[in-house]
Amino acid sequence: MTSIWSHRPQLLHLALFVAAYVLGCAFAKALRLAPGTNISIWLPGGLLMATLILTSTRSWLWWVLAGCVGELIGQFLFFHSPLPAALLIYVGNVLEAVAGAWLVNRFCGRPVRLETLQEVLLFVVLAAGIAPVLSATVGSATLEWFGVKSQTFTTAWPLWWIGDATGILIVTPLALVVLQNWRRDAELSGVRWIEAWVLALIFLGVAVLSLSGYLPFAYIIMPPLLWAAVRFDFKGAAVTLILLGVVTAIFTISDASRFVGDPGSQREKQIMLHLFLAISAFSALIVAVISRQHQVALATLRQRERSLRELVETLPAQIWCVAPDGALIYFSQQFRDFIGSSANDGDGAARLWGLLNEIVHPDDRGTVNTAFAHAMAAGEPCTLKHRLRRSDGEYRWVETRAAPMRNSEGVIVQWNVICLDIDGEVRAEEELRLARERVARASQAASLAELSASIAHEVNQPLAAIVANSHACHRWLSAEPANLERAKITAGRIIRDANSAAEVVSRIRALFKQSTKTRNAVAFGGVVAEVLDLMAGETVRRRVRIDTDIESPLPLVALDRIQIQQVFINLMRNGVEAMDRTVGPRVLTLRVRRTADAIQTEISDRGAGIEFPDRIFEPFFTTKDHGMGMGLVICRSIVESHGGRLWEEKNEPHGAKFIFALPVDVKAAA
Amino acid sequence: MTADDHIVFIVDDDERIREALDELLASHGMRAAAFASAGDYVGADKPDVPACLILDVELPDINGLDLQKQIAEGDHPPIVFITGHGDIPSSVRAIKRGAVDFLPKPFSDSDLMAAINAAIAQDRETRSQRAELGALRQRYLDLTPREREVLPLVVSGLLNKQAAAELGISKVTLEIHRRNVMQKMAAASLADLVRIAERLEIPVTHSRRTGGSRV
Repeated sequence: MTSIWSHRPQLLHLALFVAAYVLGCAFAKALRLAPGTNISIWLPGGLLMATLILTSTRSWLWWVLAGCVGELIGQFLFFHSPLPAALLIYVGNVLEAVAGAWLVNRFCGRPVRLETLQEVLLFVVLAAGIAPVLSATVGSATLEWFGVKSQTFTTAWPLWWIGDATGILIVTPLALVVLQNWRRDAELSGVRWIEAWVLALIFLGVAVLSLSGYLPFAYIIMPPLLWAAVRFDFKGAAVTLILLGVVTAIFTISDASRFVGDPGSQREKQIMLHLFLAISAFSALIVAVISRQHQVALATLRQRERSLRELVETLPAQIWCVAPDGALIYFSQQFRDFIGSSANDGDGAARLWGLLNEIVHPDDRGTVNTAFAHAMAAGEPCTLKHRLRRSDGEYRWVETRAAPMRNSEGVIVQWNVICLDIDGEVRAEEELRLARERVARASQAASLAELSASIAHEVNQPLAAIVANSHACHRWLSAEPANLERAKITAGRIIRDANSAAEVVSRIRALFKQSTKTRNAVAFGGVVAEVLDLMAGETVRRRVRIDTDIESPLPLVALDRIQIQQVFINLMRNGVEAMDRTVGPRVLTLRVRRTADAIQTEISDRGAGIEFPDRIFEPFFTTKDHGMGMGLVICRSIVESHGGRLWEEKNEPHGAKFIFALPVDVKAAA
Repeated sequence: MTADDHIVFIVDDDERIREALDELLASHGMRAAAFASAGDYVGADKPDVPACLILDVELPDINGLDLQKQIAEGDHPPIVFITGHGDIPSSVRAIKRGAVDFLPKPFSDSDLMAAINAAIAQDRETRSQRAELGALRQRYLDLTPREREVLPLVVSGLLNKQAAAELGISKVTLEIHRRNVMQKMAAASLADLVRIAERLEIPVTHSRRTGGSRV
């Protein structure tokens, strides 16, 4: 009990409800046309059902009691039925409202919004179709039982049913929707207000003219009614239906309505009137819900479009779109901001190429244009790195990716292009590359210096012994008399030490042979390019030009990159040094070509040529002032350890030519 | 120059080098003693004759430069460095510490012999100076205590009477002592005596003026 008491609605609401209920009764009374019946359009039924749908079941008892008060007042004022009959009729009305409310809550979900066509149709069938069956049955039976105005069950039932259904159709959805949604929509703009007033006037005019019978057909009211439902959805439908009800009531009361006729046809006319109102209400409801659905869909679509646009605009990238013919379709704000006001003239393909020519760095223009042209011709996505001019004139590195967008037939409808600013990364990468290069250069120099130092030490020990012994030997032999015994001993030592020096060299060779595990398949062209880069400074300083003739493409070769580069550098440096005293043009020619099973490299100079071709590959043989006589020995060792060959030839017309061939398949080093 | 009146020490870990240098020095009529390590050299009995040390920089136990530093305190023969790969900082360090030469291997006979001869000459000079000083010290030790008191006063330039007053003796007695000092120290003149006192590092404690002011 306490829970019911605690769920009691506000007294004001209950009072308003009772007042509305009584007003509904008055309306029913006003539209009661058929003689010998008090059955009419029963708005209070719809009101009660709407109230029950909107409120919680715990407070239903209060509303039912309030309805009972209203019903009794109505009966007392308008219908004058006996009290038991009135109560029975009210029981039928309550049954109808409770059944309708329960069904609607059950099947349309809470809160009832009536926003989809499915919900509206369910509502029409359940609340306006099935629920009135209860009240019509109870009410008609009561009328017959009590013999109110001598009506029979069968004559009263249809009139009762359609009256209640109409009442529910007019009141319930409007009450539901209007009460729930009245404040939800934005204020109407001025133009909309004008439209609303014009519509109201037209509607009133048409209603008056058609209902008074001046216009031939009552349903001529439909176009303005539907217009209101379309343009102002539920609000429009509610207002116009109420207007229609009021106009109908006025005409019916004043007996000017087309639905008022002679007593014979009056009953039929009343059914026609009910039908008219029911159909109007039904149509308006359906159209209103379709209109609302449409608006909701439009709003959703707009919302989605806006969020998509926001997504595109706030992505940390510059986005633009091009039509397949090159017409510029879309620039994201970021891209616009980046390029500033560029390439706004021309049309079609001219605009795209105009834009590219204007904003792409001149050095990258060729590549970019080719890549774009190729991608657009082939319909394939492309990715490229290039510099792009920012609005302040600075060129920044960007990564541009373009991809085609196809329709369902696979035809390209648009190219979507994204530009990412990668300036920082590119510069960092460049720094890193330079640093790596410096390190590589340093380590190359270090490895050569280290190698030289260790070779120097290894070789100097026996050499020093040899020199000392030679002098001793010489002195023993030059002594008077010559000390042949000691000379012989020292000569023996000289031979021994010289052999040990030779052994050092073969140990170095062995050292290079062990390096096979550091070999990788590398592009020979890349190795040569690095060497040229390494030698660039030196050749410029010595005013030597390097002519290159490098076959392309070259196969991958398994080699120790550093060692082969040392061979290159050694041979090239020899060539450069050989031309120190050359008067004519100092040209070092580097030729790399593919033979049957090897890559052959020729390095030729225009120096004085080789004086002792038989000896240059011997250890410690040198013609240089500060040479160690190991360079060519090491070079040959390296090349041979790669399974290749190194030899020299005469260069025509003068100078020397060193050639080394590296087998392409260098699996097993000799 | 005979083989006995000087010696060349060789310290190198490479036997071939030791042998070859030994042979080369022998062919030049020089006596040599070779050691494979710094430890061997330091521990060996060495004849007391003018000498030279040929020292390899790279040694198994201790770096040649470090050995040079270690033996710098005592009397040691001048050093000629030899090295397999000489770098400039090492050679500068070696020369600064008094090395005679720094020869990268392989070195020529003439360079080596020049260095050795220079080193031995230097050692001979050092030795003779050292011997001379030893003789002077001996003479100084032969003086009587009173004569050792007289010597600094005389070389300080005091007049006989001033020196006599300083020691509280008569002028005549002082003159006798002075004559004995000159005789025992084998000084031909006062100037000679002053030079000897300087070499013996006898402090000049009195000047004539301060001495005079005391009278």
